[in-house]
Amino acid sequence: MVAKTKYDEIKKFEGDLEQCMKCGFCTFWCPVYQEEWVESSVARGKNMMIRGLLAGDLEYTKEFAARLNKCTLCMACTANCPAKANIPNIIVAARADTVKARGVKFPYNIVYRCVLPRRTLFGNIVRFASWFQGVFLPRTEGTIRHLAMFLSALGKGRNIPQIAPKFLRQIVPVVNRPPAGVETRMKVGYFTGCMTDFVFPELGEHIIDFLTRNGVEVVVPKEQGCCGAPAFLGAGDFDTGRKLADTNIKAFEDVDYIVSDCATCTSSLKDYAKYLADTPERKEAYARFGEKVYDISQFLVDVLKLPASAYRAAPEVKGKKVTWHDPCHLVRHLGIKDQPRQIIKSIPDVEYVEMPNADRCCGMAGTFSVYYYDLSKKIADKKVESIRSTGADIVVSSCPGCEIQLIDSTIRNKLPVKVMHIMELLQ
Amino acid sequence: MIKPEIVSQLQKITGKEGVLTAKEDLNAYSYDGTTTWTHMPDVVVLPTTTEQISRVLKLANENKVPVTTRGAGTNVSGGSIPIKGGIVLCTVKMNKILDINKTNLTATVEPGVVLQNFNTALAKEGLFYPPDPQSFLGCTMGGTVAENAGGPYCVKYGVTKQYLLGLEVVLANGYVMKVGGVTVKNRTGYELVMLFTGSEGTLAVITKITVRLLPMPAASKTMMAVFDDMIAGGQAVSNIIGSGVVPAKSAFVDNFVIRRIEQMTPMGLPLDANALMLLMDDGNPAAVETDTQQIVDILKKSGAKEVKIAKDADEAAAYWKMRSAGFAAVFGAAHTVLAEDVAVPRDKLAEFIKKLGEISERTGFFIQYLGHAGDGNLHPSIFTDIRKEDEFARAQAAMGEIFRAALSLGGVLSGEHGIGLEKQRFLKEAMDPVALDLMKKIKGILDPNNILNPGKIWEEEGA
Repeated sequence: MVAKTKYDEIKKFEGDLEQCMKCGFCTFWCPVYQEEWVESSVARGKNMMIRGLLAGDLEYTKEFAARLNKCTLCMACTANCPAKANIPNIIVAARADTVKARGVKFPYNIVYRCVLPRRTLFGNIVRFASWFQGVFLPRTEGTIRHLAMFLSALGKGRNIPQIAPKFLRQIVPVVNRPPAGVETRMKVGYFTGCMTDFVFPELGEHIIDFLTRNGVEVVVPKEQGCCGAPAFLGAGDFDTGRKLADTNIKAFEDVDYIVSDCATCTSSLKDYAKYLADTPERKEAYARFGEKVYDISQFLVDVLKLPASAYRAAPEVKGKKVTWHDPCHLVRHLGIKDQPRQIIKSIPDVEYVEMPNADRCCGMAGTFSVYYYDLSKKIADKKVESIRSTGADIVVSSCPGCEIQLIDSTIRNKLPVKVMHIMELLQ
Repeated sequence: MIKPEIVSQLQKITGKEGVLTAKEDLNAYSYDGTTTWTHMPDVVVLPTTTEQISRVLKLANENKVPVTTRGAGTNVSGGSIPIKGGIVLCTVKMNKILDINKTNLTATVEPGVVLQNFNTALAKEGLFYPPDPQSFLGCTMGGTVAENAGGPYCVKYGVTKQYLLGLEVVLANGYVMKVGGVTVKNRTGYELVMLFTGSEGTLAVITKITVRLLPMPAASKTMMAVFDDMIAGGQAVSNIIGSGVVPAKSAFVDNFVIRRIEQMTPMGLPLDANALMLLMDDGNPAAVETDTQQIVDILKKSGAKEVKIAKDADEAAAYWKMRSAGFAAVFGAAHTVLAEDVAVPRDKLAEFIKKLGEISERTGFFIQYLGHAGDGNLHPSIFTDIRKEDEFARAQAAMGEIFRAALSLGGVLSGEHGIGLEKQRFLKEAMDPVALDLMKKIKGILDPNNILNPGKIWEEEGA
């Protein structure tokens, strides 16, 4: 007999479990199933495994976890499910129930519980580890640099960018006002996310510059931390997730809008209410916070409503052919599909070309790619073929996670395309 | 339980990666698309070649281990559930399209090819394979042959069996046999291709399939008609066919499905409509124009409150997506859903729908239905809960009444889903006893040890 309390988090999503009527349509859309061709890969199989768990037929063993976690949470199953059964919800919930029962394993417990919530410590560890990076990992070409620590754990020999010599938080002030002569239209908080902060600070500077020039006062609170995705979505560590959530909410108390350049961060910040709210107060606070959060492209198009003329090509992208990769967290988790395309199409001197299956998962999925790197590469290879078929010079996205995957997989497949963040296209 | 030495021999045949024995994996091969049945296999084997299948069957036959062949497990009859345990032989990794011949209008595929992928490959060549079970996103070609599947297109184009030219099958003893060929005409002995078509995995394992193709019709138009009641809708279909126009596809859903779909994926369907009919006409553009006009006229004369013609391919696709979501709408509605698959002669559809109303009133069960209409195939469903013994028994009895009503009108027990487990208790009533006996004898010749999908189609003696 299963103790009632054992699967509390799963039980919150029991409705999703029951929605699945095993039609198997998800097999067609699941990037993992399409590589593995076994039933435990796909939403239907995972759903039935969880039902077995609740019925007491199965236990949450290592074997169980290995199968359940083999999921990029890309949501392609849910988006295409006739009954809209959200199996990724249950996967995250199951991770949380396990953490409740057993805690987080070493070394992740140290990482999630001690390092992620301490922003400066996190940064310093990352930097410290980066000194050893060149020694242990292969060097890559051109502008690609090496990064370390967890980001290097992500590596396992993959081509990844290097840690920045100076973090964004050390470069920019807390308050960034529009330049003289530009009227301040609104004040927004900029959630920098770990990747932009530690790896791509120049992207952060560029975004602040673009926003201020367009009449936005940009606040970059020093107190902000990691969005929590690796902890609560990846590892099911809801306690740490709440700690990070509370920190971030406090950091952004004084702004009406929060923008993020990372699809995963944006989606995770909005997901606090769904997964982490354990009290009515938190539920309310998390929901209110989530409503303030905007993806950068969504903010420019839907809130700032910039005219097409505001989008001018950065000098290095003029005359180039550009294609767009939909991050899962943007297109399916948040339903943002048209805004980035609208921005790219508005840029004169840039030719937009849609790639086939633009919204198919790139296979990165954070910790997924640590545990299942070979599988992650296979999924990425299909994305590379999509990009190749367009003949594009540049593939843009708005998720640093996806970008790392795209950099790695295009280099591995010898596809000479430049991987950029959508904001880098803009002058 | 299966002996460990058999598992290790299976591993020698397919490699370790082709054999699954963890409880979690077995659980994931214990079901199909039905809500009533589950049963765990002892082992799952994922072969990649015909030769491996031959060796697996030889081993299973010698050791009398049950073998249930499975494609994507999207069937809705219990057909691919390993009800006797043993081996699930899952063919999804054999998924190559071996040949598409544009001048002979044929294609040869491995059994694991997903129907949608096959159609995508054909579309690039301007070709068309009509059988369209609504599980096309998941179902495999092998499964569609084993179940002799059909779908909305069969009004005009027929079902899987009308397209099969040749098969390669592996017999229970491991022998690899070829039947049929790649010619449209073939009068060489008995039609053995048909023997394996719709055999639900009980006679052999299908390893190669050759089908005939059609050129893709140049034009098509989709219409949606709203009716006040299902009976009028059923009559409208008969009127259309009687007028000499055969639509390419037809589908029919009731108010329940309309509301469920609007709840799951809102697409602006009329919530107050009692019956919604979808029709598609295809062919050369000029003919499609005149046919469509004729169909619209008849629909209106037959009492349609509203008729809409889809303005473009996207709108048409949205309408048909609604139909393919129909089963999800129904199956997600209750703990246990008993879904019938009866077919009646096309001109008896309205009468049959009337009888369904009477049964619903008499038994107290709400009867929901969707179906194809134009081919007389309807899927009446009853919502129940298998955990409530008494209610479930009454629901099953009501299902019996539905089936008998169809039979009394000259109909059949299953139009397209097959018998599997779900309908075997009615088989005796649905077939000539001598014909049923003949089937059993055929099974005895081809599979003397009864290893291939045992416990399916007919009830076992003493059961």
